[in-house]
Amino acid sequence: MERRALLCLVLAGCLLAGLVLFILLWAVRGERWAASAFNRHLYNNQGILISGTVLDRNGEVLSTVDEEGDRIYPGDKTCRKATLHVVGDLYGNISTGALKAFAQQLTGYNLIWGAFGAERGSELYLTIDTELNETAYQALDGRKGTVAVYNYQTGEILCLVSSPTYDPLNVPSDLEENDKYEGAYLNRFLSSTFTPGSVFKTVTLAAALEELEDLEDGTWTCSGAVQIGDGTVTCAAAHGEQDIWGALSNSCNVVFGQLAVELGSQTMERYTEKAGLTNSYSIDGISTAKGSFDFTEEASGDLAWAGVGQGKDSVNPCSLMIYMGAIANGGKAAVPRLIQQVDTPGLLPALPRFTHWTKRLIAPDTAETIAEMMVNNVQTAYGTKRFPNMELGAKSGTAEVGGEEKPHAWFAGFLQNEEAPYAFVVLVENGGSGADVAGTVASKVLRAAVGT
Amino acid sequence: MLSRLFFPQEILNTLGDFFQRYQWAMWWYTALVRFVFPILALLILVRAFRGLLRVRHTAEQWGQLALPGGGSIPICHWENILGRAPLADIRLDFPTVSRQHAVLARGEEGEWRITDLGSKGGTLVNGQPVEQSARLNVGDTLSVGGIELLFLPLAREEEERLHNRRRAEGPEPMWPSLLWLTVFQLLAVLQLLIGNLEERGLYPLTLLGLTVVMWVYYGVIRRLGSRGFELETIAFFLSTLSIAVTLSSAPASAPKQLIAVVLGIIFLVALGIWMRDTGRIQKLRWLMAGFAIGLLAITLVLGKTKYGASNWIIFGPFSFQPSEIAKIFYIFAGAAGLERLFRRRNLWLFMVMTGVCLLCLALMSDFGTASIFFITFLVIAFLRSGDFATLSLICAGAVFAGTLTLRFKPYIFHRFASWGHAWEAASTTGYQQTRAMSAAASGGLVGVGPGEGWLEKISAADTDLVFGVLCEEWGLVVGVLAVLCILVLALFATRACRMGRSAFPTIAACAAGSLLVVQTCLNVFGSMDLLPLTGVTFPFVSNGGSAMIASWGLLAFLKAADTRERASFAIGGRGKQNWKGGGRS
Repeated sequence: MERRALLCLVLAGCLLAGLVLFILLWAVRGERWAASAFNRHLYNNQGILISGTVLDRNGEVLSTVDEEGDRIYPGDKTCRKATLHVVGDLYGNISTGALKAFAQQLTGYNLIWGAFGAERGSELYLTIDTELNETAYQALDGRKGTVAVYNYQTGEILCLVSSPTYDPLNVPSDLEENDKYEGAYLNRFLSSTFTPGSVFKTVTLAAALEELEDLEDGTWTCSGAVQIGDGTVTCAAAHGEQDIWGALSNSCNVVFGQLAVELGSQTMERYTEKAGLTNSYSIDGISTAKGSFDFTEEASGDLAWAGVGQGKDSVNPCSLMIYMGAIANGGKAAVPRLIQQVDTPGLLPALPRFTHWTKRLIAPDTAETIAEMMVNNVQTAYGTKRFPNMELGAKSGTAEVGGEEKPHAWFAGFLQNEEAPYAFVVLVENGGSGADVAGTVASKVLRAAVGT
Repeated sequence: MLSRLFFPQEILNTLGDFFQRYQWAMWWYTALVRFVFPILALLILVRAFRGLLRVRHTAEQWGQLALPGGGSIPICHWENILGRAPLADIRLDFPTVSRQHAVLARGEEGEWRITDLGSKGGTLVNGQPVEQSARLNVGDTLSVGGIELLFLPLAREEEERLHNRRRAEGPEPMWPSLLWLTVFQLLAVLQLLIGNLEERGLYPLTLLGLTVVMWVYYGVIRRLGSRGFELETIAFFLSTLSIAVTLSSAPASAPKQLIAVVLGIIFLVALGIWMRDTGRIQKLRWLMAGFAIGLLAITLVLGKTKYGASNWIIFGPFSFQPSEIAKIFYIFAGAAGLERLFRRRNLWLFMVMTGVCLLCLALMSDFGTASIFFITFLVIAFLRSGDFATLSLICAGAVFAGTLTLRFKPYIFHRFASWGHAWEAASTTGYQQTRAMSAAASGGLVGVGPGEGWLEKISAADTDLVFGVLCEEWGLVVGVLAVLCILVLALFATRACRMGRSAFPTIAACAAGSLLVVQTCLNVFGSMDLLPLTGVTFPFVSNGGSAMIASWGLLAFLKAADTRERASFAIGGRGKQNWKGGGRS
């Protein structure tokens, strides 16, 4: 009789197996289940986060819940638009916004503790400076693109603007259709990738400095174009005879194209990976987009073009900014973060937040040399007057995007300033010349950042 | 009238003011007590689980068969199959012995009979061939396929040793668990009172009624001389959760639920005591089969549709689901005595009965209950036959299932449409599941506090989605423990097979255990989108009178298989004189 109870045991086994499966699913997906807009512990009947206050680094309230239980944005229209992508919209469409990405910190919900007391909410201080964001938003002047500034020693992101943006309290009715708002839900800084153009020369340069002997002693002559394999690499003008310092400040495609070919595809790939440009970083739990590069086509001119940041190259602005921080900081930089601190009323005091560091993105000697060369860029090419009292090192980029479209304008770099150890990135989509257009935006934002 | 009783304005106003004034204290009460509930639940259940699963209880022995070459085989049951088959109770591995050769069974008066199962080798008692069955007295020589066996009682010292060992292994006292459960109930009452006084009034006090019922039951059964309370402790724990969930979701039906528990307990005791006489069981099998089919047939004629399935009978203010009670009669009729098993006619009649039941359920569109009946059928069929017959039975079962599937097709398709994809259909067919899952994840390990959830406002929250409410309000720990309770009941049933005296209680216990498990699977995994949502109740926990009565009734089958020394009121002592309480007519 005993063994015939097998079927009964099998059924009991099914129940146990199912229970274990459920617990596993609960552990893995539970937080996503709870983050449903119909979860009344966390969201009101319009699907809006029920509690939690978002503040900037200076304690200015960006979003909170009023006495009637409605979520409000106390700032003016400019403030709301300038901080939209870090604060988030009401309905969680902007996945990188604090109201969506940091909903757990705002409500105090987590899978172990549950939603108990979620209606009381926490105060979440962002690392953002609202005024700096407004400056950057105004400097972009409605053009698509992104601006970010961060402290490469502490990781705090001081400024993060993504455009196009909109007012979360007056959502445009044509948001989904109008080209003007294309990708408005995207945080371009964290979640997008773009053709880098000449800013990528800083990576090719790092490889060349380490792999090629006597690089700094050599000279090159640029006649405006060079035949490489089946293809031709061209410059905007003939730069004539120049050393590597001159080649970088002239942003000479002929020189860097040849260097890339000389280094070979494997070396280029290795240094790009080491620089962290194909990496995804976690910014307080928000994953950044990975860049992608293709150095495989050695025969034609593709490798040369890839070495100057054209062709199939695409880079995420955040990872580029971190690389800039690493150049300024001797090879490693702090990983950016957006949360300054979280205060939960009546419970434990806020824990100190630790700075996380990237792995070594670039050798210390190389970093120092590149940093000097980038400072030289500013002195010889971009103009120190535009960037007073900054000890700025920078590289511009004018990334051809093909067709009739104007190129993307890039400007990325760092301040070697003890008071203001900032790295930054500016991208104006289809903006035109990097040094002019993006450089001007950077100038306005950085002046505000260092307070001159 | 009843509702006014639970809303005495003056007391409510005083209480309301008090809670208002000490709002912060109430907040802290909920904040802390939610951690206390899982701890208490563990304290309550660990003891009961250990009692049911821990020790290898020494089986009862009723005699022995001495082998010619020396040595002997103990007779551990009241009904034993002798044969060469590995599944035989008394295995005689000789080529001349048939796979299932004969049945040795103890009658009501303690007399033993041997029944030949149409064996090739033949069976002889003291040299006389056994035509169909013959009486076997102590000292008789039994010849099975030419193997000579001597039927002997246990040696006196052996009997005493066994008896002492069994006494020492008696069930653990359960009063500590019941005390913890009382604390659990008291804390829950206060928590539910402060949660929502306007809506719930004094209804939470119903839970105290359960406390009283529990201790009265304990006292009475103790008086009757039974000491095993593990099964009831589990049932009372689950019933506590049931009433608490009802108080959260539909406070006004909490007293009704309490009455259902009382009726269920009465049903349990009556059924248990009634089953002590095995002769009665044999005689009334056909009546029971009739009841099962009759209940379903009546539902078919008078049934009203409620929540998709037309399995409700509404009688003025009362509504109940006869199909819940029919399960008990079905198991009763299905778990027949072993000596009749080998008559092919019996098997066919059992199958016909199952077919009729399934047909009735099919016509009611009650897919959940139909699948429960079908799986119970498979379990019983396998337990009864074990061998070749199983195959044909299960094949026949598959045909049934096939026909059923066809019958239910549109309905099943509708259910299966969103199965496993609830989140993609969160506002249509996956509405209930997604809400239940989201709520379950909101509770964390210890829940947001009894009565503090929102899932209770979704329709069928206290029945189909009750597991979601448990996880939300009581936390994952309590939710998982509730499922483990059912699992332990089933494991106990399979253990009982080793110790069972005769076929009926072991088959019935396994069938009841399997039924509880299948129901729990369908309910819990249905609400969490691991199985299609079929609207089956969680035994003991779901709100619903018929389901509660049926769950307690099923417990009687488990009690009847609990052969530990003086553990169960549903089992007589070794001899009539041993059993203190009497009660045998």
